[in-house]
Amino acid sequence: MAEAKRSEYRGNIHQRQKDLMLKWYDRLNEAAETGAPPTASLMISGNCVELLEGFGAAPIYPEVNALQLAIRHQSLDPILAAEELGYAPDNCAYVKADIGCYLKGITPTGGKLPKPDLVLCNFVGCNTYIKWFEHTAELTRSKLYVLDVPFQREDEPSRADLDYVVRQLKEVVALLEQISGRKFDYDRFAEAVRCSAQVEELWSQIKHLARRTPSPFDAYFDAITLMGPLYVYRGTPEGVEFFRAALEEMQAKVDAGEGLYDQEKFRLVIEGPPPYPYFRTFRDMFAKWKATTVASTYSTVGGLWEFGARHDPDHPFESVALHMLAHNVTNRNYLQRYEQIRRYLEEWNADGLIIHFVKSCRLFSAGQGDMRDYVTKKLGIPTLYIESDLEDPRYFAEAQTRNRIDAFFEALEHSKLGAHTHA
Amino acid sequence: MRIAAGVDVGSTQTKAVVMTENGGREILARALVDTGANVRKAADNAFLAVCQAAGIHAPEVGFVVGTGYGRYNISFGNAQMTEISCHARGAHFVCPTTRTVIDMGGQDSKAISLGKDGQVLDFVMNDKCAAGTGRFLANAAEVMGISLDDIGPLSLRATRAVKMATVCTVFVESDILSYLAQGKKPEDILGGVHLAIAKRTLSLARRIAIEPDITLTGGVARNSGMVYALEEILGTKLQVSPDSQFMGAIGAAVFALEKLDQSFEFSAWRPEHAAGSRH
Repeated sequence: MAEAKRSEYRGNIHQRQKDLMLKWYDRLNEAAETGAPPTASLMISGNCVELLEGFGAAPIYPEVNALQLAIRHQSLDPILAAEELGYAPDNCAYVKADIGCYLKGITPTGGKLPKPDLVLCNFVGCNTYIKWFEHTAELTRSKLYVLDVPFQREDEPSRADLDYVVRQLKEVVALLEQISGRKFDYDRFAEAVRCSAQVEELWSQIKHLARRTPSPFDAYFDAITLMGPLYVYRGTPEGVEFFRAALEEMQAKVDAGEGLYDQEKFRLVIEGPPPYPYFRTFRDMFAKWKATTVASTYSTVGGLWEFGARHDPDHPFESVALHMLAHNVTNRNYLQRYEQIRRYLEEWNADGLIIHFVKSCRLFSAGQGDMRDYVTKKLGIPTLYIESDLEDPRYFAEAQTRNRIDAFFEALEHSKLGAHTHA
Repeated sequence: MRIAAGVDVGSTQTKAVVMTENGGREILARALVDTGANVRKAADNAFLAVCQAAGIHAPEVGFVVGTGYGRYNISFGNAQMTEISCHARGAHFVCPTTRTVIDMGGQDSKAISLGKDGQVLDFVMNDKCAAGTGRFLANAAEVMGISLDDIGPLSLRATRAVKMATVCTVFVESDILSYLAQGKKPEDILGGVHLAIAKRTLSLARRIAIEPDITLTGGVARNSGMVYALEEILGTKLQVSPDSQFMGAIGAAVFALEKLDQSFEFSAWRPEHAAGSRH
């Protein structure tokens, strides 16, 4: 019996992404051994990596470390170590994996991770971040700065919100000068912001290619490939080069009419993080039905650029603040999140929505019941709600998940066929 | 005359139905066996039993659709479909005015919202927890030393149903023992047990649009106490068929007939979906 065609994307960009991420880990290893460059821990959502560029500093992303471990099926050990220390089963498993790594001296690549010179908690919507980074600072005996970013209750951030965040960014600059002994290079910072704007333009164009039929890539499973460089290299010429090459590769696929399968049968929007410990298995559950994700909310945690927002090199501090306030998915209110999904469903021409609830993440998961109601009843779009976890392998029920996905596509297929025969 | 079959391999029991298309669609026979540890054998036995009951030979069956958790273990299956699709189809066949299906199985509960042609519009299932499923009833019956067939009718005699403190299928035992020690009457305890499950099931079902007619499917539908409790809370009568346990197999058989009919091309019919292939 022929195996279902593997739908994984294995183009040039996949390898280049691997190389770039390894290079980043090498740099962190160097920092661990030599003390240079200076490093700062950051959260992915609403990150101000451009600021670090002003010091030639390297970011440490504990969330990336955690997901790398989960994808390699290595997350359970550190999670258990953290639980033995007293972390609750209900705690976010990213936190437990990260803390467990400190306790057990585990790193994703086997190389060293430096003690961060600054633990910079860019608090955007997720209050777990604060406790996580407080614990990190204590464990690593590093300096902690909690950058308080007001949650988006209204449509736009207020002047007071912007000023508040900008003031804190400048405090961080002063702090980093003191800690690193390096002077903040404003021009280098502005240049990083310029690179970011270019990356965002390219990333946005790539995302828009998924509006085509067939889409040249999967905006959920393949987007993961592109998201690492987005966080680490956004403010750099290397990042610009990478995304330029990625856009070229995707455009070539569009020009050749190449999708993921011989026939793109279903187009989906997916909400929520993936189950990293079962990434491949989860992907295959959709590949079986020749379903391509054309848009995802998870791929906008590092910035929501496809609707036109960009960093502004003429106002670097303000635009960094604006990104942290308004242009990442976790700091946006529920109505804005629903609106984002509605636009994806309509403008990217999707057949249905998959909501993947993850036990760890209250931020993503809160409101998803209401979201499901809104999409099924108000928008009339078929929606599937499934549950597992993004980091902890113990919360994935494969048979149950597969069953629900199969049932969803059976119904979707039935209605598509029905529409066809009644046409 | 076209003959097709549906086989529903559930966690506790395996059901098989043979249907024919001869002018109209008609159920020829049904069979039921315990699933046990050997799923493949259970499927074989159920299929053979239903063919015998129908008075036909196995090769006369033109198409077999398997459903239930064990559907990929049916060696003679031509295609597999989820029990969600099959319960919906089955309920619609038995009661064409069905718009909502509530299925209560051994360890699964689900609610399915149907369109007027019987197509699945939406569904919701219990996750990570067997509270409000047949297992809850089975555990309650066991701890009280009463047979599963008797707990339903006994619960109907409750005059002061107790309030269950838990919906946990495991912890219900200690709850019941505690009530027995307090001298509560078995019928009142059982009344409380049935109400607790009904509430749990309905709070799950309310996540989709509940619209009449509501058809109850699954083995638990044979429990008159459960039907009563659900109707009490819903405030409406439920459609309950004597075939409630066979609903999944009936739906599978209907899909199988449609395949024979060539009226429906599903990707489920592709060879790579046949039993034995790995996904």
